[in-house]
Amino acid sequence: MARVEDIPQPTRDAAVSIACPSFDTAPFVTGPALSRRKVAIVSSAALIPRGAQPFPIGSAEARFLPASIPPNDLLISHVSINFDRTGFQRDVNVVYPLDRLHEMAADGVIGGVADTHYTVMGSTDPVGMTEAADRIAAQMRLEGADTVLLSPV
Amino acid sequence: MLESRGLATVAIAAVRAQAENTRPPRALWTSSQLGRPLGEPGDAAFQRRVLLAALGLLERTDGPVILEEFHDDPPAWTDHPAWVAPRVAMPGTMPDTPSAWADAFAAELRSLTPAWERVQARFGRTTTGLSFLPPTEWPSFVDHCLAGDLPLIDGHATTALGLRFLCDDIKAFYGEAGQAVGPAPSSRQVDTWFWRATIGGALLQALRRTGMESGNNALKTVSGRMFVPAPWVV
Repeated sequence: MARVEDIPQPTRDAAVSIACPSFDTAPFVTGPALSRRKVAIVSSAALIPRGAQPFPIGSAEARFLPASIPPNDLLISHVSINFDRTGFQRDVNVVYPLDRLHEMAADGVIGGVADTHYTVMGSTDPVGMTEAADRIAAQMRLEGADTVLLSPV
Repeated sequence: MLESRGLATVAIAAVRAQAENTRPPRALWTSSQLGRPLGEPGDAAFQRRVLLAALGLLERTDGPVILEEFHDDPPAWTDHPAWVAPRVAMPGTMPDTPSAWADAFAAELRSLTPAWERVQARFGRTTTGLSFLPPTEWPSFVDHCLAGDLPLIDGHATTALGLRFLCDDIKAFYGEAGQAVGPAPSSRQVDTWFWRATIGGALLQALRRTGMESGNNALKTVSGRMFVPAPWVV
């Protein structure tokens, strides 16, 4: 588990000591009640539909995951071999919780689920992801989605 | 970055130190294993509780920064005593030629294929596929790699990339075969079986050693870093 003492070396030192970017601003967007929010997932697992090209190492791109892609067709193309895949092999929701979000929308806990979700390559400096963030934000605005669940691996 | 574009965000934080350093607007730190942000495969109730805790942070107005902890450990962190590893016939001595490796690997793949097919029926999917090669073609490809050739796979520009993704596929195949029946094992149980008790695990170690001695720099790099996780290197 991701308690520091439980992460095997050398991943532990890398996870703790990795340089994290700092930002000049600290935006904080408030919004309506959860029951009125439309939620999109952003996964750092570099997910690809079966048959697609895996993410290149160090890629700063964002790829879209439209609802037309069955979650069970998704593969992890993340560069790191130092995190567990067996959970994902058993249940895609452990990384990409689309079924859970749809259940919560059906129950009225959240207002809705976005038509498009997004994935990027983790272990990549986010400073280079400006264009990716622009594309995600534009698509979310187009769909009326207002809330992002960041699901890192 | 998304928050500055007008979107409210909440992160499930895998490593607390990173969340504290990055200072996102909202984050829920969980004790989930890396690679399982929602915590527990096949446990919708646990996953839903993680999501409710994370999304609930969106209703608070006392940020930034809001960093909260999810206190429950996912159940499958601990080994499951009822899980039984698939039976494979590990030879007493390791193969000593590329073709012998390929033959032993092919035999093991054949013996595990029924379990691998069962798991696809059970969970509705396989997570193999990154290499674009079906399992029946894996032994021949690794035979060439161990022999020092630089074979290519359609769709991957270099041997290094093709072999990198083939190693991911091999690990996925065994991980899935190991979960064909019975309760969810811990990842440690599956890893211990794969890396210490299968030809497939030993093969990846051999590919790593061979690749690191290659004159091809890309192959040398991916072999050292992307075939065998550091805790399992022998």
